[in-house]
Amino acid sequence: MHASTKKWLFTKISSLILLPLMVWFIVNFVSIYDKNYSEVALFFTQQSSKIIFSIFIIFAFFFSALTISEIFEDYIQDEKIKYVANKLLNIFAIVIPLITILGIFNLTV
Amino acid sequence: MPNEKTLVLVYNLIMQYKNNPLSPHLQIYKWQISSLLSIAHRIVGVINIIAITAICIWSLLLLLGNESYRPINFFLNTFFGKFIGVSLCWTFSFHILNELRHLIWDLGYGFDLKVSKITGVLALIGSFVFTILFYLIGKNIF
Repeated sequence: MHASTKKWLFTKISSLILLPLMVWFIVNFVSIYDKNYSEVALFFTQQSSKIIFSIFIIFAFFFSALTISEIFEDYIQDEKIKYVANKLLNIFAIVIPLITILGIFNLTV
Repeated sequence: MPNEKTLVLVYNLIMQYKNNPLSPHLQIYKWQISSLLSIAHRIVGVINIIAITAICIWSLLLLLGNESYRPINFFLNTFFGKFIGVSLCWTFSFHILNELRHLIWDLGYGFDLKVSKITGVLALIGSFVFTILFYLIGKNIF
């Protein structure tokens, strides 16, 4: 399979998975974002929230890395800058979810 | 050893490649619903991932404990904090509906110009309806 076809398929599959996760997240975010520490921490320490939130951010960053690289393709002319931008994007898409998942799994109320 | 003509040809090809036009050309677009939604989809997508990154940092700040969380809680309860909450509802709603539109196109439906315009308007109006719905469901108002 051609690399571009594979990238397109990954983008579409991840977007399909992300749709229900986005609905779940935004509804829960609205319910907790202005609450006090114990209520917010309680949400992130619940086993189901931890797991769904982790899956959500993994797919969100994976999807964003694939789609933002397309934006780079359209707007960055210099090949070297584009290469560096894509590398930084990929590192960012791995590091941020990884640290967040480690953090919320170590969170206790 | 390549002759001068070949070198000029190679040089021109490289220059042509380097000056390859970028797309989409926002400055020459005649704005219409399809182009407006296309660029809005990209901008909102970037805003969403910045917001998700901020939310990741927000969740990590919980590790610092109750005392350190107070200023964040204060900020999120200000008008600006609540505005961010509602705005995120809209950016998520818009992205969900427009992404759904893209997925339907990928299945081979909705390419007709008229249908495409109708689904575009529906996605835009629907994003505001979904914003209200998500906010009310989140706040347990239903």
